[in-house]
Amino acid sequence: MSAYTEGIITLLMINAIAAMGVCLLTGFTGVFTLGHAAYMALGGYATAILTVKYHLHWLPAVVAGGILAIVVAYVIGIPTLKLMGDYYAIASIGLGEAIRLILENWQSVTRGARGYPGIPTFTTMPVAVGFFLVLAFLLFCLLHGSYGRMFKACRDDHIAAALLGYDTARVRVLSLVLSAFYCGVSGGLLAGFLSFIQPVMFDMLKSTELTAVVVFGGLGSLSGCLLGTTIITLVTELFRPISQYRMLIYGAVLVIIMVLRPEGIMGQYEFGPKLFRKLFGRKAPAQERR
Amino acid sequence: MGTLLQQIINGLSLGSVYALIAVGYSLVYSILLFSNFAHGSFLVIGGYSCYFALKTLGMNIWLAGGLSLIAAGVSAILTERLAYKPIRERTNVTLYLLIASMGMSIVIENIFVVTVGGRFRALPPVIPTDPVNLFGLATTSAFDLISLVVAVICLGGLQLFLTRTKWGLAIRAAAYNLRIAGLMGVNVSRLISLVFFVAGVLAAVGGIFLSVRYTLYPQLGGITIKAFVAAVIGGLGSLPGAVVGSLILGLAEMLTAGFISSQLRDLVVFSLLVITLLFRPTGLFGKSVGEKI
Repeated sequence: MSAYTEGIITLLMINAIAAMGVCLLTGFTGVFTLGHAAYMALGGYATAILTVKYHLHWLPAVVAGGILAIVVAYVIGIPTLKLMGDYYAIASIGLGEAIRLILENWQSVTRGARGYPGIPTFTTMPVAVGFFLVLAFLLFCLLHGSYGRMFKACRDDHIAAALLGYDTARVRVLSLVLSAFYCGVSGGLLAGFLSFIQPVMFDMLKSTELTAVVVFGGLGSLSGCLLGTTIITLVTELFRPISQYRMLIYGAVLVIIMVLRPEGIMGQYEFGPKLFRKLFGRKAPAQERR
Repeated sequence: MGTLLQQIINGLSLGSVYALIAVGYSLVYSILLFSNFAHGSFLVIGGYSCYFALKTLGMNIWLAGGLSLIAAGVSAILTERLAYKPIRERTNVTLYLLIASMGMSIVIENIFVVTVGGRFRALPPVIPTDPVNLFGLATTSAFDLISLVVAVICLGGLQLFLTRTKWGLAIRAAAYNLRIAGLMGVNVSRLISLVFFVAGVLAAVGGIFLSVRYTLYPQLGGITIKAFVAAVIGGLGSLPGAVVGSLILGLAEMLTAGFISSQLRDLVVFSLLVITLLFRPTGLFGKSVGEKI
């Protein structure tokens, strides 16, 4: 396999890990976010500083990045997710910008806007794929257990969920904290992949992209979100020559999907027998009639 | 002392421009209960229409200003009709509206990038920026005073419109409960168009002043983030809250820039947001929106 293909697959895995995090929060819990790149930045910088300055092994460094993201998400989530409405969405924009500004201005620790060079390149393709498989498996188990039903209940009808005895605010915070962990880990892996990170890489555009991927693939479908990530990552690579129009097309696609098929490509379906029954189910009765 | 007064005037002036944007955003939020992230685009549309009306068509500032207000208002209505109405009619999940608005904001921003290019443009010197001496106490720019006065006039006009006219009454009723307002015979569809028009017009006024203060570029709409923050600090959906939040934000920003460091001004803005959310999550004037059953 050529180095280019390997690179793309690694990048795809890293993006998919972050997208899974956003998918849990936006797709399964119904909380809109525009600042998840901030958690990636936290994970990335934590990993970078721990490996370069303190010579820590990369594995605990990546996990520490995820944990830092958890702590910050908890602090932000507690006040904002208690409220109904777009409070978390606005706070997440604020958080994203604030973290980017801190990274740019805290020269002594983060080396400022020019970026953090010299991170050991530990993210090879097997590492990225391994992380992806483990995290995807964990998320799959989580979503197919009682926790998954709890998240979906809070998304679909928070009043009914509360009447069933769930503390919906805490459920949302739990979902946010887990999704922040995924993004933190993804940021750490990204740092190890590029060996150089810069605050600009985690701006609002990146946050928007994370949310867009999840919406595109299907709100409430794990495989849809992975499909969305694959499509967007590949399309980004293919359309590099006309990058000027890329964002225009991307925004238009978002609007069109919301207008025509708000549930995204996959809707709430996962890859599996159920989807095929839905897709091809209609043909069966037609044949019987004949 | 002089510097302090000067920074306070600058802060109030910047805050009042934020208030124009935040009020429009809050107005839409109070009716449809979603954050219209495309709100910043109306401001950019206003700025560019004003620029081209002045440069290419050679209009004077009053005509160009009026034209750009109408352009922004109409594009706000179009945005609502094209992107939000089909979603609104089918479902009441506000998440879809939120995502569509994010898409619209990307689309409009990039239409400008593709058609007129991403470079920075300066508006012709249509608004005087000469220094003005305030009774020997402080020196400030005429532009700051003008933007403060215009913002106060616009906000006063909005207040009169909302309290003294029939449509204003309808908007207040709809903010209380959209569905019941519809049942009482208000044409909801037209009302929402009107609200978007007003929001677009106010954003365009803000856009013209911002493009004089900074410069004009397609990403100028990003500055609405601060207006959103102001609206949250004041309390989402509350118009007086949006104004007070904006003024606090403008003052905090200018005082930080003047006395501490201009690099920290954005950080102060977002810290204010986080502090407000920690201690008073519903904002200064917000209704309690915690879940209660």
